[in-house]
Amino acid sequence: MRPLDVRIPLDASLALAPEILLCIGAMVVLLLNAWRHRTAQDSRLAGWIALGSLLPSALAVAVLWMGGTRASGDPFMVALDGFRFASLALILAITAGTILLSLGYLEREGLIAPEYYALVLFAASGMMFLAGAEDLIVLFLGLEVMSISVYVLAGFNRANVFSAEAALKYFLIGAFASAFLLYGIALTWGATGSTALTEIGQRLSGPALPLLGTLGLALLLIGMGFKVAAVPFHMWAPDVYDGSPTPITGLMATGVKAAGFLALARILVEAFPHAAGQWQPAIAGLSLASMVLGNLVALSQRSLKRMLAYSSIGHAGYLLAALWPGTREGLSATLLYLTAYALTSLAAFGILAVLGRGGEREVTLDSIAGLSRRRPWLAFALSACMLSLLGFPGTLGFVGKWAILAALAAEQQRTLAVVLVVTTLVSAGYYLPVVMAAYMREPLAADAHDTARLPRPAIVAVGVAVALVLLLGVLPAGALDAALATAGTVAGAR
Amino acid sequence: MAQLLSGLGYRQWILHALLLVPLLGVVPILLGRPAAAKRTALVVSLVEFVLSLGLWWALDTSPGTLQLNFSVPWIPAWGISYAVGIDAISMTMVLLTTLLMPLCVLGSWSYIKTRERGYYALLLTLLTGILGVFVATDLFLFYVFWEVMLIPMYFIIGIWGGRNRLYAAIKFFLFTLAGSLLMLLAIIVFAWKVYGATGTLSFAYAHLLEHREAAGSLAPWLFAAFGLAFAIKVPVFPLHTWLPDAHVEAPTAGSVLLASVLLKLGTYGFIRFAVPFFPGVALAPPVSALVVALAVIGIVYGALVAMVQPDIKKLVAYSSVSHLGFVMLGIWAATTQSLQGALMVMIGHGFSTGALFFLVGMLYERRHTREIAAFGGIAKVVPVFSLIFTVVALSSIGLPGLNGFIGEFLVLLGSFRVHPWATGIATTGVIFAAAYLLWALQRIIFNRLDKPENESLGDLNRRELLVMLPLLAGIVWLGLYPAPVLRRIEPAAVVYVRTVRGDYDAMRLSALAPERRR
Repeated sequence: MRPLDVRIPLDASLALAPEILLCIGAMVVLLLNAWRHRTAQDSRLAGWIALGSLLPSALAVAVLWMGGTRASGDPFMVALDGFRFASLALILAITAGTILLSLGYLEREGLIAPEYYALVLFAASGMMFLAGAEDLIVLFLGLEVMSISVYVLAGFNRANVFSAEAALKYFLIGAFASAFLLYGIALTWGATGSTALTEIGQRLSGPALPLLGTLGLALLLIGMGFKVAAVPFHMWAPDVYDGSPTPITGLMATGVKAAGFLALARILVEAFPHAAGQWQPAIAGLSLASMVLGNLVALSQRSLKRMLAYSSIGHAGYLLAALWPGTREGLSATLLYLTAYALTSLAAFGILAVLGRGGEREVTLDSIAGLSRRRPWLAFALSACMLSLLGFPGTLGFVGKWAILAALAAEQQRTLAVVLVVTTLVSAGYYLPVVMAAYMREPLAADAHDTARLPRPAIVAVGVAVALVLLLGVLPAGALDAALATAGTVAGAR
Repeated sequence: MAQLLSGLGYRQWILHALLLVPLLGVVPILLGRPAAAKRTALVVSLVEFVLSLGLWWALDTSPGTLQLNFSVPWIPAWGISYAVGIDAISMTMVLLTTLLMPLCVLGSWSYIKTRERGYYALLLTLLTGILGVFVATDLFLFYVFWEVMLIPMYFIIGIWGGRNRLYAAIKFFLFTLAGSLLMLLAIIVFAWKVYGATGTLSFAYAHLLEHREAAGSLAPWLFAAFGLAFAIKVPVFPLHTWLPDAHVEAPTAGSVLLASVLLKLGTYGFIRFAVPFFPGVALAPPVSALVVALAVIGIVYGALVAMVQPDIKKLVAYSSVSHLGFVMLGIWAATTQSLQGALMVMIGHGFSTGALFFLVGMLYERRHTREIAAFGGIAKVVPVFSLIFTVVALSSIGLPGLNGFIGEFLVLLGSFRVHPWATGIATTGVIFAAAYLLWALQRIIFNRLDKPENESLGDLNRRELLVMLPLLAGIVWLGLYPAPVLRRIEPAAVVYVRTVRGDYDAMRLSALAPERRR
């Protein structure tokens, strides 16, 4: 048993450039806050600086991806494979979207708090560590940096009691989940003497998984299950999603979920490739429960935000189904579906944020009735999002679902596939009424949608997201090839 | 004609042009003035019709196989291509669709008064979707068109429909989606099965058809998934409950397209995909007995329910359930004659039911009611309307000399050897059809003119005549001289029978008919 190695070799620290640059950006925003934190102007400035600081990080990702990739396998702390860089790019895109949506939102809600953007950046750096971790310790650190920032963000609207409730709930459950995860890491270390994912994989290559290893795997699954809000570890999600400021709900539903799934994919494929017999039934069970419960409960929601919260549980189920095969196809389906879901959800939450007047708890089907009459583009974008979430052909959501079904079909896993399509049908029962209300009903009041106007930065975010969802929905070949290529770089992927 | 067309390179571009022209037409409609939308839509749909007309001459229908095949890779990683092709079966459907579309635009001329740009843009998008389903020869592409077509129809019903439109729209959408999602899964599983057996991942129709044996023990499940999707669309009893709602609530053009074309997508799906892919399952005695029984129940049930409808539009809607039962019977009897008959019913029903829906819509525009009891004796007030209505109703009944007769007769003739009992019962459907339509005719057009509101009804105007004349011409032409159509679809029918029955059975059954072999 060798001592725990937490050194990061020099060439690997270069590989951390995206995360480091992002943290520097966050600190610049924090420093700025010390002097300028009083007016809406200051808040906006912090937002734009935060957005700008994504750029060097994105450049670093691009440079590394083009030049510096090599297969992971050495027990480095972070992965150096294409899968990580694709993950980072996705997280950066989600962060950019969140910041763009927040710019107008915070002003509308009267929240003057430039530190908000620093927290978003810290959360993003946490997600990047989490998604790229090759070592359980880094994974845990990333998870905590991400989670603690998001706890604060969830309760950011201090005047709103639901926001406070969300923050407290998320914090308590999050702490609980972290404990599970940490215990799982400890047991896995006990079983293998290593925290590096690939090393764990090598040491657990025997025919039977030792008891400690099984326990460790189970606890890791439970801990990650909380983070990605898979049934039965989902109870916190609806209240937290509902109470948080809407752009943060978007960040939780997309960024946190994406980082969680990408990390989970690495844990399963790199650390436990030989224990597929153990984790596949568990993943299948979580997936089935999430698909069924998330979609059924979403049917009965009045508030659109809660509806999207439950539907995101359903989507977690689809993503778990994509993880089930543990193959290259499965990983690429995970990546594709995450991209589709992230783009669509961000846009949907962005639109939802401007539909609510005052508190957006009140956004129901009635409040979007006749939207197309007054705000045709908004109605179009919202409907495109709903159809993509439903997985309708012509949208990226369909390509993602097709990828998952193909990965399952290749492994002869039919139960999950059948449940996936049946629950997709159920989901039409709550996505379609949104389209219906927007197009087929009359506005309830003469001034119904006067305030429903996307601020300019949000137009960019929603516009780009919807355009990508539709464009890649029709011409997915490039995205698919890229996803397959990057998925092939993960060490344990069959 | 054929020379002229080949000089234009017609065979190279026609299928792509048919899919592209309506979509291009959407642009000027959305950018132009609302009042100009219908004119643009009319021009585009007429151009489309004229373009498609060339298929009649350009297509070599004698081999009975898919022609004008074209394929380019679309999503290579999954073996998906943009692949199109056409045979006589899809050609008749394409021509029917492109003929009806300008008529639908004309029929909506004064009916649609709100949000016209959206309406006509959706109508043209629907045209592309429908034609795409008929010409796609890659199952992914087919599925995309199959689903995308739903959206325009959903909006047409939901925005411009009647009082109960929201319910009808979502019911239509959910029913169709329920079937098609399982079909999606079946397509993927089937393709991967074939991939496992051949090492080639492809969604090309010909490839899957050639290696259909690879489905192995999964074939019953795959057939069930395909079959459910198509059966809902047809609709086969007892999956028909969405149909009366959708047909009645849709605006006139929507009802026409639903009945004349969209229902045929279901039967087309059976002919093209479900039965040829899994003939061993489809024609196995228990499955075959079930489908034939449901078809016959549909024929009789649809007719009986039509008889008691107080609403004309509902009556016509239920008559579709009955007519489509004949098509299903013809497909499952799987003889050359029965399939030719099924195709003729598909075409004939497109003309006569389309015409009936137009006529009902014209009545509704005048009186804003569709209650049969609200009319009576209007033959004196609107003689032209009454004459046309009578002719169309007679053709729907299946009077010899009009288009309804030949198809149902061929179906009954071709099915009798295979399913004598079922055919016997199905024959009563023809009698019931006479009953409900003649009775309706009597109550609407004849009887006494006892409602003062009806005394001032205006007869058909020129635009309405323009809508009806092509349909009437088709009804009479197909009734008196169906030979050109029959000749074109016969080889395709032979190919179908051979594909699903194997060569031996096909020869045995073809021998029943006096064949005109080349």
